[in-house]
Amino acid sequence: MLPLLTMIVFLPLLGAVVTALLPKSRPDLPRQVALGVTLADLALVAILVARFDVSGGFQFMERASWVPEAGIQYLMAVDGISLPLLFLSALLMPIAVIASWKIDDRPAFYFAMLQLLAVGMNGVFVALDFVLFYVFWELVLVPMYFMIALWGGPRREYAAIKFFLYTLFGSVFMLVGILALYLHPAGGTFDMIALADSGLPAGFQWWVFAAFFLGFAVKVPVFPFHTWLPDAHVEAPTAGSVLLAGILLKMGTYGFVRVSLPILPEASASWAPFVALLGVISIVYGAAVAFAQTDLKKLVAYSSVSHMGFVMLGIAAGTAEGLNGAVAIMFAHGVITGMLFLLVGMVYERTRTRTIAEVSGLSKQAPVAAGMLAFASFASLGLPGLAGFPGEFLSLVGAWRSELIAPGYVIVAAIGVLLAAAYMLWMVQRVVLGTQSGTVEGITDLTRVEIAILVPLVVITIGMGVYWSSLLRYVDPAVGALLASMGAM
Amino acid sequence: MAYVALIPLLPALAFAVLAPLSRAVRNRMRWVGVAGVAGSLALSFAAFAAVWPGGDEGEATYRASASIASVGGVDLALGILLDPVSAVMLIVITVVAVCVQVYSLDYMRHEERIGWYYAVLSLFTAAMLALVLADNFLMLYMSWEVMGLCSYLLIGFWHEREEPRKASQKAFLTTRVGDVGFAIGLAVMYATTGSFAFDVVLGSAAGWAPGVATAVALLLLFGAMGKSAQVPLHVWLPDAMAGPTPASALIHAATMVAAGVYLVARALPIFEASGIALTVTMVIGATTALVGGLLALVQFDLKKVLAYSTISQLGYMFVAIGAGGAVAGMFHLVTHAFFKSLLFLGAGVIIHALHTQDMREMGGLGRRMPWTAATFGAGALALAGIAPFSGFWSKDEILYAVWKGHHYVVFALALAAAFVTAFYVARLWFRVFMGAPRTLAAFAGHADTDHGDEDHGGHDGGHDESAADRRGETRWPMVLLGVITAGIGFSAPFFSEFLGHAGHWPDPMIASVSMGVALAGLGAGWWVYGRRAGAVDTEAIKARFRPAYSALDAKIYFDAAYERLAIRPFIRVTESLAVFDRIVVDGVVNGAAVLWRTATDLSWGFDRRVIDGVVNGTARLSRSAGVALRRLQSGRVQTYQRYVLGALVLLMLLIVVKGA
Amino acid sequence: MIEVGPAAFMGLAAVLFTLGLYGAVARKSAVMVLMSLELMAVSVNLNVVALSRFVTPTEMTGQVFAIFTMVVSAAEIGLGLALVLAIYRQTRSIELTTMDSLKG
Repeated sequence: MLPLLTMIVFLPLLGAVVTALLPKSRPDLPRQVALGVTLADLALVAILVARFDVSGGFQFMERASWVPEAGIQYLMAVDGISLPLLFLSALLMPIAVIASWKIDDRPAFYFAMLQLLAVGMNGVFVALDFVLFYVFWELVLVPMYFMIALWGGPRREYAAIKFFLYTLFGSVFMLVGILALYLHPAGGTFDMIALADSGLPAGFQWWVFAAFFLGFAVKVPVFPFHTWLPDAHVEAPTAGSVLLAGILLKMGTYGFVRVSLPILPEASASWAPFVALLGVISIVYGAAVAFAQTDLKKLVAYSSVSHMGFVMLGIAAGTAEGLNGAVAIMFAHGVITGMLFLLVGMVYERTRTRTIAEVSGLSKQAPVAAGMLAFASFASLGLPGLAGFPGEFLSLVGAWRSELIAPGYVIVAAIGVLLAAAYMLWMVQRVVLGTQSGTVEGITDLTRVEIAILVPLVVITIGMGVYWSSLLRYVDPAVGALLASMGAM
Repeated sequence: MAYVALIPLLPALAFAVLAPLSRAVRNRMRWVGVAGVAGSLALSFAAFAAVWPGGDEGEATYRASASIASVGGVDLALGILLDPVSAVMLIVITVVAVCVQVYSLDYMRHEERIGWYYAVLSLFTAAMLALVLADNFLMLYMSWEVMGLCSYLLIGFWHEREEPRKASQKAFLTTRVGDVGFAIGLAVMYATTGSFAFDVVLGSAAGWAPGVATAVALLLLFGAMGKSAQVPLHVWLPDAMAGPTPASALIHAATMVAAGVYLVARALPIFEASGIALTVTMVIGATTALVGGLLALVQFDLKKVLAYSTISQLGYMFVAIGAGGAVAGMFHLVTHAFFKSLLFLGAGVIIHALHTQDMREMGGLGRRMPWTAATFGAGALALAGIAPFSGFWSKDEILYAVWKGHHYVVFALALAAAFVTAFYVARLWFRVFMGAPRTLAAFAGHADTDHGDEDHGGHDGGHDESAADRRGETRWPMVLLGVITAGIGFSAPFFSEFLGHAGHWPDPMIASVSMGVALAGLGAGWWVYGRRAGAVDTEAIKARFRPAYSALDAKIYFDAAYERLAIRPFIRVTESLAVFDRIVVDGVVNGAAVLWRTATDLSWGFDRRVIDGVVNGTARLSRSAGVALRRLQSGRVQTYQRYVLGALVLLMLLIVVKGA
Repeated sequence: MIEVGPAAFMGLAAVLFTLGLYGAVARKSAVMVLMSLELMAVSVNLNVVALSRFVTPTEMTGQVFAIFTMVVSAAEIGLGLALVLAIYRQTRSIELTTMDSLKG
């Protein structure tokens, strides 16, 4: 049996090295190599999905000793929670490459960085050894830093440094947590699976949870750790925004599901009200601030804060519905927000502005772009029948069902759904509808290539929205297993 | 029986075919929409025949379900439940939908985006059909929201103009306020029973804790109030009239707005388990019935009169359900769907002919547009509650249910609403159809001919040159609806039996009271608006009823209150939150960065000045010593000689002194 | 006849030495400085011869020493003048104030 996960994770690394070494005289080669590599990676993930056994727990496990002196292993596997995220990462990569097709400033470096990013993102979702996990986690920062700092907007240096330092600040605490688990007599290993059965004392768990919480919360980001996000999004190139919102944010919430819940179950329960509170604040606060934004990208960025709040609420609930909902939002948000950022990028390319007040009446001049933007907005505001709905609905229901969360939180979160409709419609109202503004005058509609990269996302959005099981059949058994293991503690 | 699933799927398929096409192709393919709905209509009749002769509510003739997700061991499904209630609703929806779609073929034919119009209309029909066929609350909620989307898209169909754009947003958001309640209600329901299925939830409702039942019932009611435009969430419906008139007929009169009534009727066991919730439903319904009627009195926009009348009639349905006459409520839903869509289609013809929606500019249309006047008249009499038109029968049943439930105050309110209704119907009739034509367009019409339309996209679709009835696509749907309106009332007892209740003919006492009130309303309307042939002096009426009139004119301040108490504060809050975010939250981060920079500067300074200072100080000392001493070495021989001399003198002095 | 004692010789020598010292320190011309140095050497020789005559009249130590000194100072003055000439060729000047290239 081939080491499928290793191939999936490290194929982009190979691609990155090859891309970096390509001759400068052929500036079109890097993007072609990158596209080929990411498509091959997607194909590998598709094989993985096809071979995946929905009720089989951790699968495709690869275990090898890495640093035997410290008990560090090369340990990778996927389950129903990480598989959708791995798929999402592999899916968004070729789209990001195509969205970057016009990058002509140091293309070899750019596409090498893009593929390096894929290594880190894929790796985080399959690593089950803490050291490996941490390595991938930090690996993600470097290419993203360069993408923002070198190919970003006018305030790129500020944004890139803020992004880098802020998330690094968080992950240092995570490292402390990892070491604490390793050094504790009941822990003593970096193996996440083994740690989940280790039965750590509750008081110790509380502190470790706090450390991990800081690391994950910054990444998610949860209010009040979110301010790096709008800056990073606004300055990042389109592909950077897509991957940042689509994958990087999920790393934080994935961390909660993969690390905090199974390894620190008691602490998760005692922290749940606090986590839920921050989640609810993020929902309402993100929505309210999004409403006041004048920049399209910032609006989408704050909407991400709001949506990730729903994920946090679902995780804090600790019920089957809540966790299913959390993973569903993670996936759906990746697809929908990816779509939104792609569209904002496409509109920006044509109008040279992202200021909402300066773009209006898109639907007349560019009906396809306008239709797609409206579609993505409705998906984002959680319209039933589209992908945004199942997750939000399930996390609300799950949170209501949970004994850990006060009903008041759920009511406030439900109002967040209303606010999401408000800021999204307000945006659609101004940008898509109405009379044409001067910036829209004479712009071309989406090209075939642009439509081609959006269509898969549209199809997934509808498919998942109508037939929830297309995603949840992978997630639900894994969530069940996770809850069973937590309950057994 | 699997064809039942096709009933919502056919229009959905029509949407799926139309939506991805390019505008030009889509515009030519609008027959796809009509075909889809026509197919649904045929299948609905088949389903109705299968259900015949009816029976208990919820007693399924056919059920099927497909799981869309399994969460924590619970299957969430899209399921179909065909029972008498849903069969009736299927007929109502498909008949009105077919009429509206056929009518639109002519009415909307000059629209640049008619293909899109048909696509959305089909999607709407699919969602509404799915809603009434749903066998669980989740699917009901999902269809509910999709209808909301379609309503949004159709209200904002002419989005280049600001008014429809604003109205569509207002409609979506206002109904979504209700939906928040609905969603929470679903969460509570699920937490209580672990299911969304009707039979599980409704079957167990009687055993719930009263608090839970009340909470769920009121939350569902809140959702229904949003969708069915009940006070205080009614504000969106009059504005929604900015959409194309046929769409208003289907969505904002006949079907979607009735979904709230349908929801409450479906969830009746929960309301009954609560008890209080029924009373709340009735009170809200009665308030709405009266408020809607009163507001209709002061409107000059033809469609807005009808919109407020819709609000008022929906209030009647809530009253019925609250008073325990769910069947009466459902029957009123059915009759109202027919006569109100008829009225809207008639209004569409008038608006097209006269280029205006302002009733003050109409008049004398009765002679010019006999077909329209006849069908519209049937609808108006039904609305006013005059026997034998359908509205009379259903209103009578409602009043009967309220009377029998000993809710005398509500009964009085309902009668008052009936009077007001008849009054504004008379006002509308005399202003529009009677008297002298008040505009050239109203005057110049000649009957029953087809006219080419020139302009389009302007006010409400294309306009005809003159006041005249429209051609066949427009006329026959109206005639069909008119016939139904005139005749369906006689089915009242059978309708009850079909839904599994004892049927009865109108109670003579109640019937005569309601007829009397309705006739009194019409008479009063005639007294004010129809007695003299000339124009009615609106200003005189306004002056006479100053405080009441200005309150009504300001929509009883609901909109202003929302604007002042909710929307503007919300925008202010978001703006200040955005500032807060930038200055405080981000300020803390940047502050931390600045602090850190300062700290590093300080420690760098310490390092440079103190630690490195010691090292550098030694160097600098030797260096400055060198600089100082350098001056001694002038390079001039004689200087050195002087040093030597000086040193010699010093030595000698030293020897002299020491020696001494 | 006036008794000429050692004091007279020593006084003369002191006057000569002082003149030489002054010249050596104060004159600007290198030639003048050399001459002043010679003057001081002469005054020292005078002292040496005079003291030898008066303190140890039987021995000729002082006179011999003076001869040596004169030879050395003649050689010295020759070398000095040669240097001054060489410097003059380089700089067209024999002023000592300009000769400071060894300054620190």
